[in-house]
Amino acid sequence: MTFFLQYVMRRTFQNMMGNLFPNLITIGIIAISMLIFSTFTLLAYNLTNFLKIWEDKIEVIAYLKRGTPSGEVEPLLDKTRLLEGVEVVRYVSPYDAMAFMETKLGRQKNLLQGIQPAVLPPSFEIQLKKEYRNSTKIKEVVTHLKKIPQLEEIQYGQEWVETFSVLVHILRLTQWILGGLLLIAVVFITSNTLQLTISSRREEIEVMQWVGASPAFIRVPFYMEGLIQGLLGGGLAILFLFLMHQGLFLNLPPSMQAWLAKIPVLFLPLETIVWILLGGMVLGFFGSSVASMRVLKYK
Amino acid sequence: MDEAMIEMHHVFKTYPSQISALSDVTLEIFPGEFTFIAGPSGSGKSTLVRILFCAEKPTSGEVVVHGMHINQPGFKKIYQLRKKMGIVSQDFKLLKDRTVNENVAFALEVTGHTREEAKWKASEILKRVGLEEREGDPILSLSAGEQQRVAIARALVHSPSLLLADEPTGNLDAKMTLSVMNLLTDLHQKGTTIVFATQYTGLIKRYSYRIIQILNGQIWDGRKADVNKMNKVEEVKAGG
Repeated sequence: MTFFLQYVMRRTFQNMMGNLFPNLITIGIIAISMLIFSTFTLLAYNLTNFLKIWEDKIEVIAYLKRGTPSGEVEPLLDKTRLLEGVEVVRYVSPYDAMAFMETKLGRQKNLLQGIQPAVLPPSFEIQLKKEYRNSTKIKEVVTHLKKIPQLEEIQYGQEWVETFSVLVHILRLTQWILGGLLLIAVVFITSNTLQLTISSRREEIEVMQWVGASPAFIRVPFYMEGLIQGLLGGGLAILFLFLMHQGLFLNLPPSMQAWLAKIPVLFLPLETIVWILLGGMVLGFFGSSVASMRVLKYK
Repeated sequence: MDEAMIEMHHVFKTYPSQISALSDVTLEIFPGEFTFIAGPSGSGKSTLVRILFCAEKPTSGEVVVHGMHINQPGFKKIYQLRKKMGIVSQDFKLLKDRTVNENVAFALEVTGHTREEAKWKASEILKRVGLEEREGDPILSLSAGEQQRVAIARALVHSPSLLLADEPTGNLDAKMTLSVMNLLTDLHQKGTTIVFATQYTGLIKRYSYRIIQILNGQIWDGRKADVNKMNKVEEVKAGG
C-alpha cells in the first residue's frame, strides 16, 4: 500500500510538472470559481448570523384596548403565558410606558411635559421561546394573540423580519444556482486539462497497458491530479477570501469601522472551510473521472 | 501432449467497413513452440496478434489464451493476461525521454515493483539481450536494432512464457534482423513460446519453425515444408 501511494504521488508529481502551465491555469480557474462561491457563502453566513442575532432580540408587543378593566389584566396575562411559543410576558402599564419613554429621551424628557400617562395604551411585552424567534413561527404566535379580543394591536417588526428573511433566501438561492453553474464549469475545465495531461502521456499509457499495468496504476495518478487541483484551487479561494475579509476592515474609514464594530462580520467557520476544500477536491476528482472515462479505456 | 497455450476456434473478425480480416480461423499453439504467422501486408496477421493480446475483439468465435476465455463478455482481466505475455511491435513503443534501463524498468514499476527492484531486474534482462553497456544511454542514441532489443527486453522483464511479436524486424536492416532473430531463437531454446507475425518469407525460410500462413483472413497451417504452398497462395493473390 505504501509502495502504491509512493508510486501514485511520484507519477502525479511527474504529470503535474510535465504539464505545469495547464495545471496552473486549471488551479487558477478553480480558485476563481470557488472564490465566487465562497464569497456568496460568506455573505449568506454573515447575513444569516445577523438575522439570528436580530431574531434573538425579537419580541412581540400586544397593545390592550383602552379601558380594559384592570381586573381582566391578570387573567389575560395568564392566558397569554399559556400560548404555545410564549416564554415570558410582562405587563407594561401606561405609567411604565411613560417611565420607559422618559428614560429613552434622557435630557429631552421635557418633551413629554403635559402628556398624561393615560394616553399611552397598556401593553404586554411578550418574549418568545428561542425556536419561535423566526418569521414563520412568530406568525403562529401572533395568530393566536389576534384571537384574544382584549388585544387591539400587535407589533413585532414583521416587515423587517420578512424583508431580511427574503434577502437571505435570495442570497442562498443565488449562492446555490451560481454554485451549480460553477460546478459544471469546474468539472469541464478539470476534465479538459486532464485530457491534455493524458494525451501528453499517451505513449506512456499505451506502454503501461501493453505491459499489464492494472487500471488502478494507470488511473489513480490522474484522479490524484484532479484531487490536488481541486484542493489547491479551493485553498487559494479560501486564502483570497480571508485576505479580502481582512482587507475590508483595514481599508475602511474609521467612522465606518466604528459602525461595523456593532455588527460582527465573521469569517467562514472551520467546518464550512473544510466543506469548501472537500467540495473542490470532489469537483477535481469528478473532472478527472470524466476525463479518464473518455480516454483511459484499457486497449 | 501439453494443453494448448493459445486456442482459436472459428474466429471471425469483420471491421465496421465490412472488411473481413479473419475468416473462420481455428488454430492451437502449444507451450514452447516458435510459430511464424506469415502473410502479405493486410492479410490479417496483425489482427490475429492483436486479438491474442486483447487489443481487439473478434466478431465471433472463441479465443483462449493461458486458459482465459478472452473474448467472453465481461472479460476484464486484460492486464492480468498481459502480465503473462510479452508484446513486441514494429514501432518499438519506447519512451523517448528515458534511458535504456528506465524504459525496461518502467514495465516493472507500473506493475507493482519497487524502483530499486525494477532497476536491478532491468539491468539483468539487458545483459541477456546484450545491451548491458548501453543501459544508461538515452533511448534515441541507440540504433533501430538496439531499440528493438530494448523493446524485447521490456517484453521479457516479467519472465513471460509467451512472446507476441508483430513485425518486430519490419524496420530493421538485414544485420539487425539477424541479431534480433538470434535473440528470439535463444529465448525459444530457453522455453519461451513465441508467436512471430511477419510478411518476409525469406526470413521464414531460414528457420525450421511452424508456419501459419494467413491470406485474406484465412489460414493454412504447416511446417517448413509448406512454405512452397504458401508461396503459391501468394502467387494466386498476386495474379488476382
